[in-house]
Amino acid sequence: MTAPQTPQIPRPSLASLEKKAYWLGLLLLASGLHIFEAVMPSFGPWFKLGLANIITLIALERMGAKAAASLAIGRVVIGAFFIGTMFTPTFIISLTATLSSTAIMLISWRFIPRISLIGVSLLGALVHMCSQFIVVEQLFIQQIALYYLLPPLLVLSCATGWLNGALATYITAQLTIRSR
Amino acid sequence: MLIRSASTSNREPPNTSNPWHWLKGTWVDRILLLLAVIAIGMSWQWLHQNLSGTPMVHIYHGKTLLATYPLHPETPIHFQARGDIGLSEITIDSDGVHISHSSCVSQRCVLSGHRHRVGDILACVPNHILVSIQGTQKLALDAVSE
Repeated sequence: MTAPQTPQIPRPSLASLEKKAYWLGLLLLASGLHIFEAVMPSFGPWFKLGLANIITLIALERMGAKAAASLAIGRVVIGAFFIGTMFTPTFIISLTATLSSTAIMLISWRFIPRISLIGVSLLGALVHMCSQFIVVEQLFIQQIALYYLLPPLLVLSCATGWLNGALATYITAQLTIRSR
Repeated sequence: MLIRSASTSNREPPNTSNPWHWLKGTWVDRILLLLAVIAIGMSWQWLHQNLSGTPMVHIYHGKTLLATYPLHPETPIHFQARGDIGLSEITIDSDGVHISHSSCVSQRCVLSGHRHRVGDILACVPNHILVSIQGTQKLALDAVSE
């Protein structure tokens, strides 16, 4: 008498599992930074440092566009769940700005030759800020006078975008050195 | 470690311990920064070209203009603006204009403090309230919207 045959479930490869675990680790790190930025004292009503975007840049450089995009969206949803802003105006503004900034980061990384993570981060920060204003103006405030606040905040976005890009470049370089 | 860099070879980050090296970026990054700074400077100049005249405080709920007051009244003015989620109290006094009370949860509008320059704004996004300080001249953006 032979033992009953059980269906064989194909085992995923170690490389595939490690890639998923690595992505999940980055997602948790990005969500943690997103929540940390939400609870830390604000630099202004419209302005954040964008620390969580450093993790998106690392994912873009090390895992590719698909992983970076899913990570950016995932951390906004998880962050909103923990902060308690799910489906509020803050969530709508944050998600829309993240989608548009991630799109521009992926496009620039793919199509602009010799651009580094610093340039990608700079473009992402600028588009993120502009998107926030467009969403607020179109959906909530509906007053064009809102845009008078935009230029000084774009200057700050340039600074934070550049610094975040430099940090992401440094971290990815260190990770590359250690993985050799 | 199985996760390797997904970047192409010309994007390999250099191995250096000099912190200034990391802030430099490539020449493409620096051109992008230059273009961004020029665009921001020009838009800033354009937006603020007609910000002169007697400063007036305009209080809006969405597209509706609720009230207009001079920025420097003889006695403090307390205006209660009804928004989407409740009342926002706007105070205009000798220090300028500020939102002294709001029905929103985050209270970011209240924490924004006083505004006193032409072109400044205060906004309570959840309550759809905007407070804008404008000069008596027609603003650049108003001309575009017309």
